[in-house]
Amino acid sequence: MTLFSAASFALPPALPKLAGVDFKPPQGSRVVLPNGMIVYLMKDNTLPVVHMTAFIRTGKLNDPVEKIGLGEMTAGLLKDGGTLKYKPEEIDKTLEFLAASVETSMGIEEARANMTTLKKDLDAVLDIYADVLMNPAFATDKVKLKRDETLELIRRRNDDPGRAVVREALRAFYGPAHPYGWRSEEATVNAVTIEDMKAYHANYYKPNNVILAVAGDFASEEEMLAKLKAKFGAWPRGEVKFPVIPPVEIKAGRQIFHVEKDSSQAYIVMLQKGIKRHDPVEYPLSVTTEMLGGGLSSRLAAEIRSRKGLAYTVYAYSAKKPDYGYTLAYCGTKPETYSQALSEMLRQFKLITEEAAPAEEVTRARDSIVNSFVFRFPTPFELLSERASFEYYGYKADYLDNYVENIARTDPAAVLAASRRLFKPDEAMLFVIGNSKKFDKPLSEFGPVTELKED
Amino acid sequence: MKSLALLPLLLLCCAPLYAAGGQKDELPPGASIEKDPKYPPVVAYTLKNGLKLLILEKTFVPTVSFTLMFKAGNVDGQQGKTGLAHLMEHMAFKGTKTINSANYAKEKIALEKVEKAAQAMIAEESAAAPDLKKVEELRKALAAAEKEADALIVKDEYWKLYNTLGESGMNAMTSTDYTGYVVSLPSNRLEAWMVIESDRFKNPVLREFYRERNVVMEERRMGEADPNRTMWETLVSNAFVAHPYQNPTIGWMDDLKRLTRTDAEAFFKAFYVPNNATLAVVGDVRPTEVIKLAEKYFGGWQNRPLPARAYTREPAQKSEKVVSVFFKAKPALRMGFHNPGMDNPEIYPLIMACEVLSNGKTGRFYKTLVEGKELALYAEAYPSFPGNRYPSLTVIAAAPKAPHTVEELDAALLAEVETLKKEPPTRWELDKILNNYEAEMIKQLESNSGLGMNLAQNEQILGDWKYDWRIGEELRKVTPEQISAAAAKYLTRENRTVVFLKEPLK
Repeated sequence: MTLFSAASFALPPALPKLAGVDFKPPQGSRVVLPNGMIVYLMKDNTLPVVHMTAFIRTGKLNDPVEKIGLGEMTAGLLKDGGTLKYKPEEIDKTLEFLAASVETSMGIEEARANMTTLKKDLDAVLDIYADVLMNPAFATDKVKLKRDETLELIRRRNDDPGRAVVREALRAFYGPAHPYGWRSEEATVNAVTIEDMKAYHANYYKPNNVILAVAGDFASEEEMLAKLKAKFGAWPRGEVKFPVIPPVEIKAGRQIFHVEKDSSQAYIVMLQKGIKRHDPVEYPLSVTTEMLGGGLSSRLAAEIRSRKGLAYTVYAYSAKKPDYGYTLAYCGTKPETYSQALSEMLRQFKLITEEAAPAEEVTRARDSIVNSFVFRFPTPFELLSERASFEYYGYKADYLDNYVENIARTDPAAVLAASRRLFKPDEAMLFVIGNSKKFDKPLSEFGPVTELKED
Repeated sequence: MKSLALLPLLLLCCAPLYAAGGQKDELPPGASIEKDPKYPPVVAYTLKNGLKLLILEKTFVPTVSFTLMFKAGNVDGQQGKTGLAHLMEHMAFKGTKTINSANYAKEKIALEKVEKAAQAMIAEESAAAPDLKKVEELRKALAAAEKEADALIVKDEYWKLYNTLGESGMNAMTSTDYTGYVVSLPSNRLEAWMVIESDRFKNPVLREFYRERNVVMEERRMGEADPNRTMWETLVSNAFVAHPYQNPTIGWMDDLKRLTRTDAEAFFKAFYVPNNATLAVVGDVRPTEVIKLAEKYFGGWQNRPLPARAYTREPAQKSEKVVSVFFKAKPALRMGFHNPGMDNPEIYPLIMACEVLSNGKTGRFYKTLVEGKELALYAEAYPSFPGNRYPSLTVIAAAPKAPHTVEELDAALLAEVETLKKEPPTRWELDKILNNYEAEMIKQLESNSGLGMNLAQNEQILGDWKYDWRIGEELRKVTPEQISAAAAKYLTRENRTVVFLKEPLK
């Protein structure tokens, strides 16, 4: 693949002629172990370090509704709760003395387990990593500690309204009972038992449900593969049961939510129904959101920040999901100017559905994505993690290699078509946290408002 | 090691990371390549105008990271003009006489009108009893002048150029100590970067100043809504009574309201000179080519003598300061102890003390306070805040876990510090810290932009790009008794300021 650059708008005459960016990301090897575990491998001897990351197919969206937080607590305790072979204290002492790390986490749609070690300590650290994935013990005192920490974080979730607003807006958008929008609560965290976590681990953490990416300083791929087989080879394959995720239902028509808070800024989130993953409209949509809210020269930043001086933070992006994702626009501004900022956000989304964008602007957004594509894999490990991630999310094997060409096909007509299909600003959901006594206009001028309490 | 942006001391035996750089091309006279295998093979070169270059050739992907670092921070703004260094940083994205401008000769006149109108407005706003009607009229006059100037602007052209070039991580950062400009590009954009950036710092035009000032005021308001920023600002403004480290880098709102373009231009003229800057270039580039192009494009950048920078030294603190901030968020605390500064050898045992206290789950704070007594959600210690140029604060940041209070947590943290004074760390604790330091250094070499930032900052602010490697050797020499002694000397009640964040009284 060649990343080409068309320097399409008038560059200053002093600037040298721009060549394309020619970089073909290496493939790396992909091996499937007999127990079904998929392994991506790439040797990289530049530094005496080895990195691994495992994608385990689950996520917060698989939690039972009465035990939201189960997945996250399970993932958080895989290492912290000790294993069959290692006590928790032994793991901490060994890893910290060797300056190695084993970290496990739970995202909405993926569970991860990462490992980093100096080459010289690979065997010792890999042994811990494998036991953490396969044989966690969930020590009682560590479970209590994790639960207490989780509850404390729940108590603190509204400390910074600029962050809370995104979570709460998505919760209102998908509904508090849908896994795309829900959050854990004191009661759901307290309902999680050690038996629940053991059962959760037993169901999802199976080799046939794992993709592992490994890169770093080893002698050969064969040697590394032999080590992995020695550690993970006896991990038995098994059936994984996935819950049925209810379909996304998004109310039609304008909805507005407001949380009263005496804060120095008002925080605005605007949400519109997005796309399902693998919808080919993702390419023109990426170019479109880049134009609208991708950087400081994007339409939202140019108008709301640079021209009007109303905000420091203002952006937009689109998120894909198995079911409908969303397009989100965000702005933080003083309450006395919130309506100016909000009106401009709405106006920009409307404008892009009404008039074809200038070709120059579309090309620049395209170039921006194409010419910076190379930064998605600054190291072999990051490249391999991307490849593993694309397989995890069900993309075709050549997705990454064809990405640039697909983006490059986007023209003004495609941007207009994507915008018309996906943006309906009149129906966008608006979520605002702020001091309404200082608002320059009542929020109700934008539509019917539902008042919510911060909780 | 989280505490400092430290690079490790380690034999860089791993040749493939670095291309054959120095061997292939002959370096020009005056350039030197680091040959000691303890350090990466950085090529150093200084232009006649004083601009220092640090170049490290690294390959895998064809990219390059640039860091241009000025020793020009918030401390260098005068009292009454806090926030000026940071606002100037924002203005450096607004173009030059040729970039972002449709016709600079005409625009210059329009910008002078804007400045005159703005100064008139600020004068009235700052009056003892401002005439509100007059302020409104002057505001309208400023808006009208700005509208005229806008007609001569090519909007956001500087950003658009970099979008087309394929930038990644284009940004800038201002601290109490410095202002740094960073961007990464595909490596065949080397010359394009030189063309644009030399123009950017030779011929800047601070257009759209008063709107950008509003953007910065919003940035300040964002911080005021954030409990963490509020606590840090309260800590430094109470801990320092005389030294400019007391001022927030974002600036006090009242100062922001009175900053003018003329102020920013004066700041630029004083501190944005090549003899006050270091440029680090890390990535898939040939050092000889970088030097050749830097000579071509930056060679004509005029140097100037720097103003004297003797700021009021902070007097010794004689009494403990306890400050309560009432804020709608769950409780937390920040405490600071005046330290001797990064150029004083007593900082080394203090750095080690911080690590003994809070390095990982085997650190003392975690073991006793987060886990053992379950008093804390987190508790961390850092050797130097908010800066490294002058004596600063060694700080502890922590939050209690309900139902415990900040007072209980404070007492427990101090008890842990007392224990450190009496019980020197074990060899295991120290070896763990040193191992982490070495490993961190290796891992930092993975990132071009991170390494570039480090090299430039250490060279320009601390005087030596090898600073982190050297400090590593110093840390190795520190004895357990020295760590306890440093804790006993510096981490005392009369030398500390503590900020409690509490929920408002009902």
